[in-house]
Amino acid sequence: MAVNYSAKEEADGHPSGGVGVPGGGAGGGGGGAGKTRKPDNTAFKQQRLPAWQPILTAGTVLPAFFIIGLIFIPIGIGIFVTSNNIREYEIDYTGTEPSSPCNKCLNVSWDSTPPCTCTINFTLEHSFESNVFMYYGLSNFYQNHRRYVKSRDDSQLNGDNSSLHNPSKECEPYRTNEDKPIAPCGAIANSMFNDTLELYRIDNDTRTPITLIKKGIAWWTDKNVKFRNPTGDGNNLTALFQGTTKPINWPKPVYMLDSEPDNNGFINEDFIVWMRTAALPTFRKLYRLIERKNNLQPTLQAGKYSLDIAYNYPVHSFDGRKRMILSTISWMGGKNPFLGIAYITVGSICFFLGVVLLIIHHKYGNRNTSADIPN
Amino acid sequence: DNLCICFQYTFWNFVPKNLFEQFRRIANFYFLIIFLVQLIIDTPTSPVTSGLPLLFVITVTAIKQGYEDWLRHKADNAMNQCPVHFIQHGKLVRKQSRKLRVGDIVMVKEDETFPCDLIFLSSSRGDGTCFVTTASLDGESSHKTYYAVQDTKAFHNEQEIDALHATIECEQPQPDLYKFVGRINVYHDRNEPTARPLGSENLLLRGATLKNTEKIFGVAIYTGMETKMALNYQAKSQKRSAVEKSMNVFLIVYLCILISKALINTVLKYVWQSEPFRDEPWYNQKTEPERKRNLFLRAFTDFLAFMVLFNYIIPVSMYVTVEMQKFLGSYFLTWDEEMFDEDTGEGPLVNTSDLNEELGQIEYVFTDKTGTLTENNMEFVECCIEGHIYVPHVICNGQILHDCTGIDMIDSSPGGSGKEREELFFRALCLCHTVQVKDDDSVDGLKKNHLSRGSCIYISSSPDEVALVEGIQRLGYTYLRLKDNFMEILNRENNIEKFELLEVLSFDSVRRRMSVIVKSSTGDIFMFCKGADSSIFPRVKEGKIDQIRSRVERNAVEGLRTLCVAYKKLTAEEYSNAQKLLQNAKLALQDREKKLAEVYEKIERDFILLGATAVEDRLQEKAADTIEALQKAGIKVWVLTGDKMETAAATCYACKLFRRNTQILELTTKKIEEQSLHDVLFDLSKTVLRHSGSLTRDTFSGLSTDMQDYGLIIDGAALSLIMKPRQDGSSGNYRELFLEICRNCSAVLCCRMAPLQKAQIVKLIKLSKEHPITLAIGDGANDVSMILEAHVGIGIIGKEGRQAARNSDYAIPKFKHLKKMLLVHGHFYYVRISELVQYFFYKNVCFIFPQFLYQFFCGFSQQ
Repeated sequence: MAVNYSAKEEADGHPSGGVGVPGGGAGGGGGGAGKTRKPDNTAFKQQRLPAWQPILTAGTVLPAFFIIGLIFIPIGIGIFVTSNNIREYEIDYTGTEPSSPCNKCLNVSWDSTPPCTCTINFTLEHSFESNVFMYYGLSNFYQNHRRYVKSRDDSQLNGDNSSLHNPSKECEPYRTNEDKPIAPCGAIANSMFNDTLELYRIDNDTRTPITLIKKGIAWWTDKNVKFRNPTGDGNNLTALFQGTTKPINWPKPVYMLDSEPDNNGFINEDFIVWMRTAALPTFRKLYRLIERKNNLQPTLQAGKYSLDIAYNYPVHSFDGRKRMILSTISWMGGKNPFLGIAYITVGSICFFLGVVLLIIHHKYGNRNTSADIPN
Repeated sequence: DNLCICFQYTFWNFVPKNLFEQFRRIANFYFLIIFLVQLIIDTPTSPVTSGLPLLFVITVTAIKQGYEDWLRHKADNAMNQCPVHFIQHGKLVRKQSRKLRVGDIVMVKEDETFPCDLIFLSSSRGDGTCFVTTASLDGESSHKTYYAVQDTKAFHNEQEIDALHATIECEQPQPDLYKFVGRINVYHDRNEPTARPLGSENLLLRGATLKNTEKIFGVAIYTGMETKMALNYQAKSQKRSAVEKSMNVFLIVYLCILISKALINTVLKYVWQSEPFRDEPWYNQKTEPERKRNLFLRAFTDFLAFMVLFNYIIPVSMYVTVEMQKFLGSYFLTWDEEMFDEDTGEGPLVNTSDLNEELGQIEYVFTDKTGTLTENNMEFVECCIEGHIYVPHVICNGQILHDCTGIDMIDSSPGGSGKEREELFFRALCLCHTVQVKDDDSVDGLKKNHLSRGSCIYISSSPDEVALVEGIQRLGYTYLRLKDNFMEILNRENNIEKFELLEVLSFDSVRRRMSVIVKSSTGDIFMFCKGADSSIFPRVKEGKIDQIRSRVERNAVEGLRTLCVAYKKLTAEEYSNAQKLLQNAKLALQDREKKLAEVYEKIERDFILLGATAVEDRLQEKAADTIEALQKAGIKVWVLTGDKMETAAATCYACKLFRRNTQILELTTKKIEEQSLHDVLFDLSKTVLRHSGSLTRDTFSGLSTDMQDYGLIIDGAALSLIMKPRQDGSSGNYRELFLEICRNCSAVLCCRMAPLQKAQIVKLIKLSKEHPITLAIGDGANDVSMILEAHVGIGIIGKEGRQAARNSDYAIPKFKHLKKMLLVHGHFYYVRISELVQYFFYKNVCFIFPQFLYQFFCGFSQQ
C-alpha cells in the first residue's frame, strides 16, 4: 500500500504549490541546454527585472511628509525673499481717469501729427540698485487671438525676396495696400506698439534725461536667425524694400524705423519684440534697458522722475490699458511672489499633515503594528 | 468541390475589405472624420498631425492582418492540395483534394484521413468493415467499426467499383456527427434497383482516420464546406477583449466631453464676440469673405475647429501604443521558460495578442478532457486478487521496460490456492475482452527491444481493454491472437495455452459488463466476466468480496477506473443450456436486444469473484494541481467531452475537479427517461438553491467549514433537450433554471457532447446575465468550435493534430501551463494594460483641459 501511494504521488507530479502569483520568482533551473527554441533565461525575458512598488505605511509616508515640508519651506522662503528684493514700479498712463495728464490723448488716432504728448511725474520710494528693465504693458489686447497670431509671414521676415513682394495669404487683410505688397505684412506688424517713452530724473527742478538703451532687448536667435532684412545689391534698405509699401497704420516704412543700419528694417529690436506675440491678453514687453553706470551709484536713485509719453497707440476703443513698468531682475526672473508663496504653502501643509498623521499613528497605530510591512 | 476555405481575404478584396473592417472600429472612424474635417476647414492643427498617425495605425494593422491571412491561405492550400486517390474509368488517379466532386469514388489507405464525407462501399477486409478513429472530430481515440453497404462490399478492386451503378439519396448536410439518413439504390443489370438504407454506420466522416484496414472505397457525398466537420466549425469572428470594450465605452464618454467642450466654447465665443470691439478690434480685422460668411456656417466651422483642437482628448496614439504593448507583451508569454515544454521542444504560441489581458479575467474555463486533461493513453496500474494487491513495477507511458516485468507482492505471498486463483485471474483478463491484434510491422526502436516477447499492437474499441491486456502482458501473460476461434495465450513459462472461444456476451453500457465463455484445452468450460463493480458484486456468490470492495472503492476515489473480474466454471450441461438460450435470443426477430439482455441476466450469475483491476487514464502532468489552483482562484472549471460519462467522471475525480465531498448531481438521459426533464431540473435546482440558501446563513454564522460543493454531470442528449425551444415557449425557463443550477455548482461535467454542443454551452454561459469571461481549452478538431466561441480560446499543441492550435488565440504545450498563463501572465497583462489605458486617458485630460481653459484667455479663437 505504501509503495502504491508513493508511485501515485510520483505520477501525479509535485505537491501542489500555492495559488499566489509567484511574481516571477526563482525560475526553474535551466534543464537541458542547447535547444535553440528554448527561451533564454534572462531577467528581462523571464520578467525578473527588479521592480519597486512602494507600499504606503506610516513608516514611509510620515518621513516623506516631513522631508517635503522641510525642503519646501526654506526654498519657498528663499524665493519669496528674492522676489521681494526685486524693485518694481508700474505706472498706468492710459488716461481713462479725467485727472490723468494723458486724458487728453485718450482718443488719439494713428496718424495725428504732431503726436499728442503727455508727462507723468512719479516718485521712486526706493532706489533701484542693479540694471533696470523698462517695459510697456498692455491689457485686454488679444495678441493671442488665432486670427492675429497667424497673420504674419515668417519667410518674409526672414528676408526672403519672393515673400517680400508676394506675402503669404495668411496676412490678409493686411497683405497688400493699393496693389503693393505690405512689408512687413500682417495684423501683428500692422499694430506695432508705437508710443515713445522717455524718462527724466527731476533733481531740483532740473530734468536730466536717463539713458535708455534700445539694443539688446530682443532674443539673440530672433535678431540673428529668425529676422533678416532682404538681401540684394548694396546695403541700402530703401532700395531693397523697393516695390513694397508700409503697413497701413505705420507712420513710416520699415526701413526708417531707426537710423542705425543694424537696428533698422526687419531687425529693428522693438519690432522683433513686438512680433513675438504674448500668450495672454495682459502682457508686458521689454522696451528699454537702463544700465548701471558705476558701482557707486544705484541705477535709479530714490527720488522724483517724470515720464514723457508720445501717445500714439489707441487702446481705449477695446477697453485696453497701457502701462510703463520699471523693474530689476534676479536669478529667478522678474518679481513673482506667487512661486515663493506656493512653496511655503505646500511645505507647510505637508509638515502639518505629517504632524497630524504622526499623532494619529501614535494614538491608534499600535493596534495593528503587525500589518505594517517593514520597508 | 472539396475546397475548404478558412481565409478572410483574397488578394483583390484585401484593401477595401480590410479598410472597411478597420474603420468599423469607432476610434479609427473617428480619426478618419477628424482628418477629413481638418482637410476641409481651416483648423488650428494641420491635417498631417492626425493623418500620419492614422495612416500608421491602419498600415500596421493591415500588414499584421494580411500576414495572418496569408498564413491561413497557406494552411488552406496545404489542405486543399493534399493528394487523394480516386477512381476514374476503372483506374486509380491521384488528384488534389480540392478537385474532389460529390459522387466521386475515393480510395483511402490505412492511416489516411478521409478527405470528405464518404459512404463506405467496400473495404479490404473480407467482412466489409473498417476501423476508424474519430479523435480529431469528437476526441474519442478509440477505434470504431463502420460497415460497408451490403450490396457493394464485395467489390475489391478499381474495376469492380467502377462498374457499380447506383444512386444515393441523402439528407441536406447537417452538423450532427452521429446522425445520418440516406438511401442507396443499386442497379443490377437493368433490374429493379435494390434500395438499402444508409445510416451513420455507413458514413465515414471527413477528419476521421482509417485504422487497421488496408484500404477502403467510398463515394463522396458531402464535400468541402458541406462536410459535417466543416459544418461544425464556426466562422472565425474577431474577438474583442473586455478591456477594449470598456475602452470603447470610455471613448464614447470622452466623445461626449469633447462635444460638450466644443459646444460650450462655440457658444461662449459668440457671446464674447457680441461686442464689436472684441470681435474686430482695430488691430485684428477680418477679411472681406470672412465678414460675409453666413453666421450659422461660421458657427458650425467654429464648432468643428474646436472639435479638432480638442480631439486629442481621444488619444489616437493609444490604439497604436496599446497594440504595440500587447504585441510586445505577448512575447513575454513565449519567452517564459516555465511554459516551455522540454519533451516537444515547443513553447507557447500567441496567435492573437488582442486578448492578453483577458487571460487575467477568466471566470469560466471550459476544458476538453481527452488529450487536454489526460494524456490520452490508459495505464494499467494495479490489480487486486483475492485481496492481494499487485502493482506492475514500472509505470511508464505504455512502454514496457522489459527487464522490469516483476510485480510487487504487497501482502504476504499467497498460498497454493491463491496461486491458482492468481493464474486464473490473469487468464481471465487475457481472455475476457474483444481486443484485436495487429502485427507490428512498423517496428520502431523502442519496441524492438521486446520483440522477443511477442510484440504486437492491440486494437480495441475500448482503450481500457488495451491497457488491461498490455498490463497483463507485463505481468507475464501475453495474449497472442484469436485464430479459428481459439485464443492463444503465452503464459509465464513461455508456453502457449489455447482456449476455444465459445461465446462472447458483449459489453453494453446498461449491463456495464461483458463475459466470455471459453473452453480450455483440458476441456473445462469457464465463464469469465468483467465489469463495473456495481454490476459484478450482486452477481457474486463467493470470493473475498469485502476486501476487494474496499480496494475498489479506494481506487475509485483516486480516480482510477476499476473493473472487477469474476468467473464460474460451467458444466457441459449448463453450457448447453446457456447456449440454447443465447441462440434463441439471437435468432429472435423482435425485441432481440431485450431478449438478449434477459438471457444475459440469466446466465451471468453466481460468479466467484477473482479480483479487481485499476486502470488509469493518465492525467497530464500537474493537471490536478492546475485545476485546483484555478478553482482556488475562483475560476469555475467545466469539462466538456465527447467521452462516456463514466470515463469522464473518473477523470474528473482524478484531476480533483470533483472532490470526495462533492455531491454529484446527475442530469442525464437515463434520469430524464425516469422522470420528466421538468421534474429533474426542478429537483436539482431545489437541492442547489437550498444549499446556497443555507450557505449564506452559514457564512453569517461563520460555520462555512462543512459547506458542500456540488458537481453537475450532464450529457449531450439532456443538454439538447434543455436547449431545444419548446412550443409553449417555456424553454427560456429551462435554460435559466439550468444556468441557475450550473452557477451554484463548483464543477460541471458535460459528456457526450458534439462539437457544436460544446460551443453552445460556452455561448450559453457567455450570454448569461453576468457576462462572464470564458476560456475554452482543447486540443482536437472537435474543440475548435468551442475555442472559437469562447472569449479566449486556447489550443494544446498536442498529438491530435494542430487544428486546435491553429484556430486558437493561444496555444500551449501542456494543460499545466494554463495555471501560469492565467494566474501570472494574465494578471500581469491585465494590470499593465489597465494602467496603460487609464494613464492614457488621464494624460489626455491633463493635456486638453488647459487648452480648454486657455480658450477663455484668447478670445475663444481656437488658438
